[in-house]
Amino acid sequence: MGVIISAIGQGIIWSLLGIGLYLSFRILNFPDMTVEGTFPLGAAVSVTLVTQGVNPVLAIIIAGIIGGVAGLITGLLYTKGQIPILLAGILTMTATYSINLRIMGQANKSLLGVKTLFNNQFVNWLPDNFPTIGVGIVIVIVIVASVAWFLQTELGQAFIATGDNQTMAWALGINSDAMVTLGLIISNALIALGGALVAQNNGFADVNMGIGIIVVALASIIIGEVVYTDKLTLTERLITVVIGSILYRFVLVAVLAFGFDANDLNLFSAVILGLALLLPKFRHSLNIAKLFPQKGAK
Amino acid sequence: MNIKIKLTIIAMTLFLGGAAVRASFTADAKKEVKTVGVLQFMTHPALHQIYTGIEAGLAEEGYHVGDNLKIDFKNAQGDQSNLKTMATRFDSENVDLAVGIATPAAISLANTLQKQPVIFAGSTNPIGSKLVTNYEHPVGNVTGVLDQAPLKAQISMMKEMLPNLKTVGVLYTSSDDSATTEALKFKKLAKQNGLKTKVASVASSNDINQTVLQLISNHQVDALFIPTDNSIAGAMNTVIKNTDAAKIPVFPTVDTMVKQGGLAAEAINQKEIGIKTGRMMGRILSGKTVKSQSVEFMQEGHLVINQEQADRLGISVPKELSQRARFIH
Repeated sequence: MGVIISAIGQGIIWSLLGIGLYLSFRILNFPDMTVEGTFPLGAAVSVTLVTQGVNPVLAIIIAGIIGGVAGLITGLLYTKGQIPILLAGILTMTATYSINLRIMGQANKSLLGVKTLFNNQFVNWLPDNFPTIGVGIVIVIVIVASVAWFLQTELGQAFIATGDNQTMAWALGINSDAMVTLGLIISNALIALGGALVAQNNGFADVNMGIGIIVVALASIIIGEVVYTDKLTLTERLITVVIGSILYRFVLVAVLAFGFDANDLNLFSAVILGLALLLPKFRHSLNIAKLFPQKGAK
Repeated sequence: MNIKIKLTIIAMTLFLGGAAVRASFTADAKKEVKTVGVLQFMTHPALHQIYTGIEAGLAEEGYHVGDNLKIDFKNAQGDQSNLKTMATRFDSENVDLAVGIATPAAISLANTLQKQPVIFAGSTNPIGSKLVTNYEHPVGNVTGVLDQAPLKAQISMMKEMLPNLKTVGVLYTSSDDSATTEALKFKKLAKQNGLKTKVASVASSNDINQTVLQLISNHQVDALFIPTDNSIAGAMNTVIKNTDAAKIPVFPTVDTMVKQGGLAAEAINQKEIGIKTGRMMGRILSGKTVKSQSVEFMQEGHLVINQEQADRLGISVPKELSQRARFIH
């Protein structure tokens, strides 16, 4: 029981990662490797600030801004420097490792005995694991609403158009370079925010916490897509990323509960993600869609 | 909004609501069999020895697995996000006590478990990582056993072994907190003992080969010191391959690393750390408070020497040392 509740809480706070990657991976069609650097960057910044007495909320906002700067660098390397996006992301990711060590001054920085978002007087009265859920839900609602609002503005529509077809967007007078850079800034800012939140929840930041993060982010996006195959609005899509992130945590808990070795967890994550990616293909060839006609699909 | 999403959100809210209500009404039932959660940070021979020691130490205090004790053992395999999940699991099964083997595991437990005692086993700098604020009187629910290597003894042993020793190279992984603490402490102690040091750190095991080559090139150092460092322990062969070619002796702090080609070490026995931890756990399970259990140290090391390596490097082991040493190869 406690484990399931904890999984929901973990899923909610990890979902910012999925929402961030959704912007670059799904809308811009970019596999942005920067995230493996910005996630621990956000963690490092927020933990370091909080230990120095900065307000935890302010700390995660600053972490988000610094994550955005990392996204800006990747964006400039790609648009101005003409470096392939995969490589541009890997360059920034590699650089942030050293920067994270500098920021923290050590490899692993602890928050024990320090007030964070998850152990202040506003949430302490809640039963175990519920502070994570409470704080997480508030932040996720704010983020989903802001991203949804942004995508509906003129700027956001131009951003979506750029993702659909860069040449076309350019012909329409949209500065696609600026749009791509903007997308990478927002995406990485959200991911650093996620890292900051996860670090405050876990009670520490570690330089190695970014390894394999991109699979976690992709899993939330893709599980959300596989479960909700209907035609959805962008806002609904963002919500399915949050649900996907929770479902992914359930799967991990189930794998552990079945007594599998944690050694094999990465293998399971990859297999789950692989199956989720292959599912649409199976659906098509097995004609499952005909057996379950989808409501609302045109 | 899409009906499926709506249903999912409603279902989840109902579940959480129910759980929250239940959580505020359940009381703990008294248990005859004590449950202990052990969270090991990663798979590593030294960490596993601590675990074996814990079982032995608990047995000394009268707690036997399967009899009056249940151990829930979890290994996070070095993955940070596993630590939290596993620590929460201990919390939800309401363990009587939890032990973290290696610092990250202990931090994770201390963060998650508020009521139950948390014990760290094999942490080098628990004050730096805020597990405790002082060694004598633990304030919160955390205490444990330190694994600081006896570096003073190590330095005097090195000087005895190599009378012409002037400069010592120090190699450690910068992302390993314990290793960093120990390396810097060694540097300070070496200076006090009239030795020069050349310190080099690696970011990951991939850099070890090149860094070692750089460190020992042109015979800038007479010997190499390696702190308790998990990454380097795993790449000991790479280190030894290079130092052997340059005929430079290596002084690690762990006996397994001496076995892998180090020359000698004033090593602390990891199993003994475990035994000390196990005894401390036993005392707390029997009703002692965490406050009454000061953080424990390993007082002295056991000299281990690799004779084969000494022969290969042409070093004759002084008699005083060989009399008290344990030889391994």
